[in-house]
Amino acid sequence: MENQLNARDAAIASETEFFEKTQFPEQRALHSLAWATWIAAIVVILTLTRNPFYLALVIGAVAGVRWRCARVALENNGQQAMLLSPLRFGLLVVTTAALFNMAMVHVGTTVLFVLPAWIPLLGGAWTLEALVYGALNGVALAGLFAGFTVINRVVPVRSLLRLTPRAYYPVAVVISIAVTFVPTTLQQIQQIREAQAVRGHRLRGVRSWLPLVVPLLEGSMERSLQLAEAMVARGFASGADAQPRWPQMLVLAGFASIVAGWLMQLIWRQPTWGGVLLAAGGAALLVGLWRAGRGHPHTVYRPERWRGWDWVVVGGAVLAASVFLLPLFARSTIFYYPYPTLDWPDFDWRIGLAALGLIAPALG
Amino acid sequence: MIQFEHLTYTYPGARLPALNDISLDLPEGQLILLIGPSGAGKSTLLRCLNGLVPHFSGGALLGNVRVKGLDPVAATPRILSRHVGFVFQDPEAQFVTDRVEDEIAFALENAAMPPQEMRVRVEETLDLLDLTPLRDRTLRQLSGGERQRVAIAAALALRPSILVLDEPTSQLDPKSAEDVLNALVRLNNDLGLTVILAEHRLERVLPFVDSVIYLPDASAGNGGAVLFDDPRAVMQHIDLTPPLVSVGKALGWQPLPLTIKEGLRYSRPWLAEHRRMADESPRHRRLIARGGQPYVQAHGVQVRYGRQEVLRGVDLALWPGEIVVMMGRNGAGKTTLLRSLVGLLRPQAGSIRVNGQDIAGREVADICQQVGYLPQDPNTLLFAESVREELLVTLRNHGMEIGDWRLGDSEIGGREGKTSRQGDKERGRQGEGERGERETISSLQSPNLQSPNLPISQSFVTSLLSRLGLLDKADAYPRDLSVGERQRVALASITVTRPGALLLDEPTRGLDYAAKRALERLLHEWRDDGMAILVVTHDVELAAAIADRVVLMSQGEVIAEGAPAEVMATSPLFAPQIARLFPETGWLTAEDVIKAKSKANSGGK
Repeated sequence: MENQLNARDAAIASETEFFEKTQFPEQRALHSLAWATWIAAIVVILTLTRNPFYLALVIGAVAGVRWRCARVALENNGQQAMLLSPLRFGLLVVTTAALFNMAMVHVGTTVLFVLPAWIPLLGGAWTLEALVYGALNGVALAGLFAGFTVINRVVPVRSLLRLTPRAYYPVAVVISIAVTFVPTTLQQIQQIREAQAVRGHRLRGVRSWLPLVVPLLEGSMERSLQLAEAMVARGFASGADAQPRWPQMLVLAGFASIVAGWLMQLIWRQPTWGGVLLAAGGAALLVGLWRAGRGHPHTVYRPERWRGWDWVVVGGAVLAASVFLLPLFARSTIFYYPYPTLDWPDFDWRIGLAALGLIAPALG
Repeated sequence: MIQFEHLTYTYPGARLPALNDISLDLPEGQLILLIGPSGAGKSTLLRCLNGLVPHFSGGALLGNVRVKGLDPVAATPRILSRHVGFVFQDPEAQFVTDRVEDEIAFALENAAMPPQEMRVRVEETLDLLDLTPLRDRTLRQLSGGERQRVAIAAALALRPSILVLDEPTSQLDPKSAEDVLNALVRLNNDLGLTVILAEHRLERVLPFVDSVIYLPDASAGNGGAVLFDDPRAVMQHIDLTPPLVSVGKALGWQPLPLTIKEGLRYSRPWLAEHRRMADESPRHRRLIARGGQPYVQAHGVQVRYGRQEVLRGVDLALWPGEIVVMMGRNGAGKTTLLRSLVGLLRPQAGSIRVNGQDIAGREVADICQQVGYLPQDPNTLLFAESVREELLVTLRNHGMEIGDWRLGDSEIGGREGKTSRQGDKERGRQGEGERGERETISSLQSPNLQSPNLPISQSFVTSLLSRLGLLDKADAYPRDLSVGERQRVALASITVTRPGALLLDEPTRGLDYAAKRALERLLHEWRDDGMAILVVTHDVELAAAIADRVVLMSQGEVIAEGAPAEVMATSPLFAPQIARLFPETGWLTAEDVIKAKSKANSGGK
């Protein structure tokens, strides 16, 4: 029991520590919009392709960027680098995915061994093809994870929120508060758990969690009220002025129109009408957001600067994503499929070269 | 500049007004201190200044408020935010962002200030409060005092001409509190900022303030008028004052001294005149009686967090019937030691014995039956619907049911039958089935402890509540009570099992003088009943009033231990006001001086 307690303490402590250590260097080389494009390209590519060559190139680029960021962090404020963690996670994901796929999918010609058929699910031929395909899925997943660890490290939540349209600024503030609430709440849970143990409370069964929940809810409630008061005292305009409702309606109508146009194109095969609806919806959305944004005047402290290299990063990311999305070169090579018989995947050097555009953040 | 005219305010749903017919006219550019007992409406009055009352709270407001010609009721808090900066009690609960700079910029961003101007403004505000070296830090990396300074900076970003602070130091240790107060004094002196401050730690701020508002308890009827005057004049009129002022009043020093420097001007000649008396008064108060076995004994306790050594072989013993006060800087390992003593932390080396029994391998819940522990924030303890229910829950947790107890049952019918107490936790687990069985305690054998040997009865619980002054609050919702009352409920909920020892971590945080006095009395009573009490505190005046023995800790080690007069009187950091005022007398509290004087007077006649 006590060991369990200590282990949990350690887990909570390390989590809190994680939040505490997340600190950002003052000089961020790249604009968060550039980073957003970069991660979007990675998500697109890694979800599309299973070709091991392209996967390797993309993950290599991510690793390069990650390595570079760790170096910068080390130089800036002597923080210990963070190179290893996704490797361990990646290894775990790749082996699990490979084993799982091999155990579940009994297709393929290169049979490694055969389990008796009476074993439910696992029984049958375990093939090399299933192993390879599972592993490739795992690799793609690990690549995504690595990409997001970079973003998590480099881009503060707050500057991502600054990318939200002005009309939703209050919502963005609420989200940023929620994010900063997480570590506080973790700490509070720990405190309350201890306080209840001190009163002879033993954690057994679901019902015994009640004494922990009530002080936590009450405490959070009190803190929220106090925060709300503090924000009002500092002039935070939450619905202070009466806003016209029509911009919000326009935004809503724009969304509806976009969905309708998309459905028309997809289901009723009406490309022209669908196109018109899409365009009209997009326009309504933009106008609505712009008009609603004017009702929420606020400025940004130390806005991020858009530098030359941001263009390079965005260009690289767009280039990489577009060769995977558009039928330009030998696009079929990206859909590698090892079944039924394992074969060497094809490789188009032009696609490979374009994928390397993702390494731009590491070079700037 | 600030006027209240017959201000009466009632919270929604309340029967009595929180503020009753208050008229004040506050001048510009002063540092004004707002004092009064808890529940007098200090926070409410401050919130009237920027319109949070009634805009945020609701309720009925009569009379007039004017702040720089504006009416906060008609104008909204948003308009007032440009004129009145507001800082709250808890630094953590008022932050919107997670970085120092962003926090300061938040109000400016909302005011849609052009980025260039904002840049300058943030820079100036950082300088004003010496925060420039911290500008890139996340708020979680800062100490309490630094956080509160960030909160002040954030409140000043819009360049208000009035700064209002609602007990800004009540959650801070003395060093941080001093940082914050110094910053306020500087702002007032250098910028002519009007500062209005509600504060309990009078001894720290009194020397700096220009005037004092005293707000009597509104619910106590016409227990006194609202005072607004020079600090010396107000001090003459109120009872609960810092020790220096109390002694000054008792000895008839005029004008009243507010700093030790001023006090020494009176005390030196006074002491020379009364030399013999000082020599005759007991020098080492409360000799430590160490007979028999200590109730709690720590031996060579070592605790490490990762590579950091927090406790390096601490030895400590607590005997029944003594109050030990432990002091030391932040991070000296005091709280860690307390947590180790009740098993919340397991030391890497060393042993801890409670009543002769090693606590290694025992559950926290089990240890806490014998050792009560009050953590820093008593709110985390409270969750039940009523005060009575809180006590019953603790008893139920320990398998010590006393039945469906109602107030007055024991007095009326005396059907005090259902008392049971299981010594071992196996039986506690079986729970309900054993209700009604009567048992005496075998595990708590300690001859000089009377109280822990008795079973918990309904009359005991009633007497515990009345001792804590909570008898009439038994059915109240604990979280609605005042800070002092909530703390006493928390104390009741951990001492209802009759532990032989009690550990308190910073018990005077946020307490006013009256609540502090009540706590002192209570601890003395428990001590006289034979409880072993360990108090960790930064509050030197509390230590002076209650300690039988003082332990100083630094860097995970006990560096000094002894009678309070020896350990505290000579320390530049931990000496109470009276020890500074009357060096080498062994006096620590105002009572010591007054007692010595009255003794000398009666002896002289």
